[in-house]
Amino acid sequence: MLKYIGRRVAYTLAILVLISLVVYLIFDVLPMDPARLTCGKTCRPDVVEANRHRLGLDVSVWQQWWRFIVGLFKGRDYAEGVAAFHCPAPSFGYSFNRHECVSKLIGQAFPVTFSLALGAFVMWLALGVSLGVWAARNKGKFVDRASTTFVLVGTSLPTFISGILILLFIVVKFNLVSPIDLGKWHNPFTDPFGWIKTFFFPCLTLALAYAASYTRFTRSNVIETTAEDFIRTAKAKGLSARTIMRKHTLRAALAPIVTIAGLDFAGLLGGAIITEGIFNLPGLGRLSIRAVLQDYDLPVIVATTLLAAAFVVFMNLIVDILYAFIDPRVRVA
Amino acid sequence: MSAFLEVQNLSVSFPTEDGLVKATNDISYSVNLGETLAIVGESGSGKSVTNLAVMGLHNPAKTEISGKAILNLPSGPIDVISAPEEEVRKLRGSAMSMIFQDPMSSLHPYYSVGDQISEAWLLYNKGDKKAARNRSIEMLDLVGIPDPHKRVDEFPHQFSGGMRQRVMIAMALINNPKLLIADEPTTALDVTVQSQILQLIRDMQKEFNMAVILITHDLGVVAQVANRVCVMYAGKIVEESTIDDIFYDSTHPYSIGLLASIPRVDKYHGERLKVISGQPPSLINLPSGCSFQPRCEFAKYVPGNKCGIETPSLSQISTNHKVSCHLDKTQVQQLKKQAM
Amino acid sequence: MSLKKSTVRRFLASGAALALAVSGVIVSATAPANAAPTTGGTLYYFTHQEQFDHVDPQRVYVGRDIAFFNSYLYRNLVMYKPVTGPAGSSLVGDLATNTGVPSNKAKTWKFTLRPGVTWEDGSAITCADVKYGISRTFAQDVITDGPTYAITMLDIPAGKYKGPYSKEGQDLYDKAVTCSKDNRTVTFNLSRSVADFNYAMTYPAFSPVKATKDTGDKYDLRPFASGPYKLDTYNINDEMHLVRNPNWKKASDPNRNPYPDDIRVRFGVAEDLRDSIFTDDSIKNAVNLDGLKPVANKAFFANPANADRRLNVYDPYVRYGAMNVSAGKMDCLEVRQAVFFAINTQALIDLSGGREFYGDPGDNPVKPVLGLDYAPTTGNIHDPAWKITGNPDKAKELLATAKTKCPTTYDKATNPAKGITYDLSNTATNQKASVLIKDALTLAGINVKFNFIPSGQYYSTIGDTTKQSDISAAGWGADWANASTVIPELFTKEGGANYTQNWNDPAYAAFKAKSDKALAETDRKKQAAMWKELSQYVMDQYWIIRPIFSKGQFVWNSGVGGVGYWEPQGNFLFTAIYVK
Repeated sequence: MLKYIGRRVAYTLAILVLISLVVYLIFDVLPMDPARLTCGKTCRPDVVEANRHRLGLDVSVWQQWWRFIVGLFKGRDYAEGVAAFHCPAPSFGYSFNRHECVSKLIGQAFPVTFSLALGAFVMWLALGVSLGVWAARNKGKFVDRASTTFVLVGTSLPTFISGILILLFIVVKFNLVSPIDLGKWHNPFTDPFGWIKTFFFPCLTLALAYAASYTRFTRSNVIETTAEDFIRTAKAKGLSARTIMRKHTLRAALAPIVTIAGLDFAGLLGGAIITEGIFNLPGLGRLSIRAVLQDYDLPVIVATTLLAAAFVVFMNLIVDILYAFIDPRVRVA
Repeated sequence: MSAFLEVQNLSVSFPTEDGLVKATNDISYSVNLGETLAIVGESGSGKSVTNLAVMGLHNPAKTEISGKAILNLPSGPIDVISAPEEEVRKLRGSAMSMIFQDPMSSLHPYYSVGDQISEAWLLYNKGDKKAARNRSIEMLDLVGIPDPHKRVDEFPHQFSGGMRQRVMIAMALINNPKLLIADEPTTALDVTVQSQILQLIRDMQKEFNMAVILITHDLGVVAQVANRVCVMYAGKIVEESTIDDIFYDSTHPYSIGLLASIPRVDKYHGERLKVISGQPPSLINLPSGCSFQPRCEFAKYVPGNKCGIETPSLSQISTNHKVSCHLDKTQVQQLKKQAM
Repeated sequence: MSLKKSTVRRFLASGAALALAVSGVIVSATAPANAAPTTGGTLYYFTHQEQFDHVDPQRVYVGRDIAFFNSYLYRNLVMYKPVTGPAGSSLVGDLATNTGVPSNKAKTWKFTLRPGVTWEDGSAITCADVKYGISRTFAQDVITDGPTYAITMLDIPAGKYKGPYSKEGQDLYDKAVTCSKDNRTVTFNLSRSVADFNYAMTYPAFSPVKATKDTGDKYDLRPFASGPYKLDTYNINDEMHLVRNPNWKKASDPNRNPYPDDIRVRFGVAEDLRDSIFTDDSIKNAVNLDGLKPVANKAFFANPANADRRLNVYDPYVRYGAMNVSAGKMDCLEVRQAVFFAINTQALIDLSGGREFYGDPGDNPVKPVLGLDYAPTTGNIHDPAWKITGNPDKAKELLATAKTKCPTTYDKATNPAKGITYDLSNTATNQKASVLIKDALTLAGINVKFNFIPSGQYYSTIGDTTKQSDISAAGWGADWANASTVIPELFTKEGGANYTQNWNDPAYAAFKAKSDKALAETDRKKQAAMWKELSQYVMDQYWIIRPIFSKGQFVWNSGVGGVGYWEPQGNFLFTAIYVK
């Protein structure tokens, strides 16, 4: 097992290195010129060149990429004289738009995105799974039909609408969170109430969108599993209906959800652009979208892309390992 | 002394959108401790449905059940059909157990066999997990699983088909039930493994002095283990007899047809096997009169289309032999000879 | 004040009518005079932007941000008079005792520092600090995006001084900017006469920076304060918090009135939420740093209950279509005129909010708010044949002339297989505008195609002479109240935003000579007459078509008082704002 994990981790790292190179290559062929973007009114050629040098874009794409790799281990130095500064390892470079080392920007944005993703994850699992189980146990009854409606609304209502609705018609209307405090970061360990206040509604927005599909998924899985032979066996043993549901049905019905939930969670860790935007959360989503669309901020683009990719591939690994514990049939010898 | 299980006038039907499916219709049988009753019939004849009803494994919301199934327990008789679910539940796995056709899908894929057997033991015994585990190992040993100390922690997918069925049997018997219902226990297994499992069931029966109901479509299996046989057709028992009578003196045309369709080494004459022509009837719209009448090659010998109008009753033709047919025993014997 | 790249970028990206303005004339509601201002409280500013483009004084180049930081955080040598109305366009000494003393035909300028001016740590602001601050502009590879007047005006050969970090060419700078022995008086030696050099001093690019506090690029996050407030925290995407600077003394600063105790700028507020805060007046002590989205804006201004908390003013910009008059492009006057007469101006204005909120058809590259330098032109929109909804018949008439006079260009404009190409930045509004333009030109028999350019790269693309198409949408605002920051910038080859390529036009040489002469003219009245003549010339040549004198709207909530429009900065008179 350890050997297997080791192999997978090595493979994952190789993928990430490759992705970083691909991002550099893509950026190189795109017609965006950040050097031009940063020079003011009088864009004299020597100023553009100076900017290109400052941004580290005056060397070949391969060299740029190699500097990035070296910077990961050794850190990087920028500018000269009193303007000089150092981004310590692991350095993802420096953002000239945000005036910070990218590692620090990521360090600031990640807790926000992680809080959002984690809160949403817990909410949608709790909501989706319990509603799904409830619906499955009352198949065809009112609860089931109500859950179907919820699924329909949840899957068809995009977060940019549900988010705004929740923000304007719940949060603002009932003055639950003042716009002054919206999106404020509170350390969950020292100020758990503040943290909840900031993240509850954004998490809810995301959770509603996800919970719908989990409700549907759970419902059909539970119904399907209930018809399995081993459930009949459990019943024949004399187990109570509750024990059967809890121990036998759910274990089998929810196992596939681990995979989906893991990947959904990983996807969210890359940033939830719309929800972060609506609720003013300074997370990875906004960091990356702005770098891509507005600033052409290559170091930030590379870092956020890599991070998002890393979350997905590592979560894949974790899901696979977890699944081996859940389902002995896929356990590797 | 009365039989351990007495099924009386049991009917099970399932309401569907197309109509009421009458899976079993007013059937009665009984089985004694130490005795093996085989219930034989084609798929859909109602043999499993009946016994699932005895076990209380039907979904009450989707099933209509009438009649009685009385277990004569030392503590007194109890009708498992009318008893409250909670009471019946406590009989399952303790007084009565059931094993199923496909031991792979019948075991939970995510739990070790030890866990699954222990779970059954812990339900009715006071003791910790360790005791349950030890008991599981004993049971695995008893049903002939080699190296049970090691295998107790393995998962169903690591066992062969026959071994899995042994696990199922171990799990079913861990609480010393007095009734074991084996629903096609060997159908999914290789022929060589089949007889081992049947032998095991027989051994266990002796060991625990159980009443065994063996549900099968295979008369070969019946010959190996059963004391008595009920032949079912379209939700009804058409013939009930001792094991000898059914093989040497079968009287219902359907039983005769079934027997004729078994390949037999001792009676092979180079002819093709006989099959019963036609399809079993729809359980929603049973034919009037005798359900077997549309397929019965002897029906034409009954005067006045009696078979198509009047449902024959299950009547005693000799001690321990009941048949439900308008023809009497001698008529059938004659026709049987002509047909051969 | 130019329509800066960063401003343009945001303006076009958001698609909402943000107003970042200089000289303005109040068109509708003015804030009525209030009771005496009160001191104390927390003043909130809300913006959808995630950060200020720049905070570093040498890099700030957006009218609103200049006005904001100049009011609160740092002081310049001179500033615009902090009053509403036209008087606001006059200069007053700020760190300097007066508005500067020119000599040597305005090639030398002297400014003497006020006594008692200090940094936030209590240390005195010296001439060396001023000199150091201005030198940072030359470090173009660190101090980006800022105005570059120092580079173009100081007597240093182009590109020879590289700023205080590399110190390359430092001796040249030390000669161009000198300090008196007492370190109180700074002297600037310019490469040419600049009669309005002191207007350039209103840009924070000319404000001091304490060398020991300089952190290069990172200074943009935490500049050292000289104004009545200092930076407590600045978190991009979150909040900027200004607190009182205890070392600022009213005695050394007659211009500023620091009323609130705390000033907080909330960044990244979702547009819908921002609009609801002001529509509902939900946070009383709040001011909107952006505008409202068009629909909310319309509703807000339609409600008389909001009369006390809104402004609708002319912003500093003129928006226009620039004709690329180089050979093979729009090199035929009659074709340019035909396009002008064909366009349905009314439909385009209506698309962006109508005349009430977007602006009026203009007749001049110089906006009337420049006062002296503006006079109505003749021709163009004053031509009897011009109709605000377009006049295809007049256009056809002009094309008929063009057919014989310049057959190649005529063919390009009318041939269905060829056609004129129009550059637009790729926004939803411009997509709609393109349909209106096409419909109007088709009526006149002109074939037009569109080149949609990503908004972030728009100006760098049309600024590339090889990439510019036939017509390019553009916008410009005066840097200060002198057409010297308009005409030469837009219509001479050396200008920062010449999208006409008119140096290929036979008419250019004479124009350029007159423009140079006007620049050097120290008699302001004579100079104004020359600018007016040149504006008329530009319009007669149809180098630009259909200028729009655009407007901007500002809103705030009921708990805020003293809000007014600082005309030269085109934004709030921040220093007068208080919390009721």
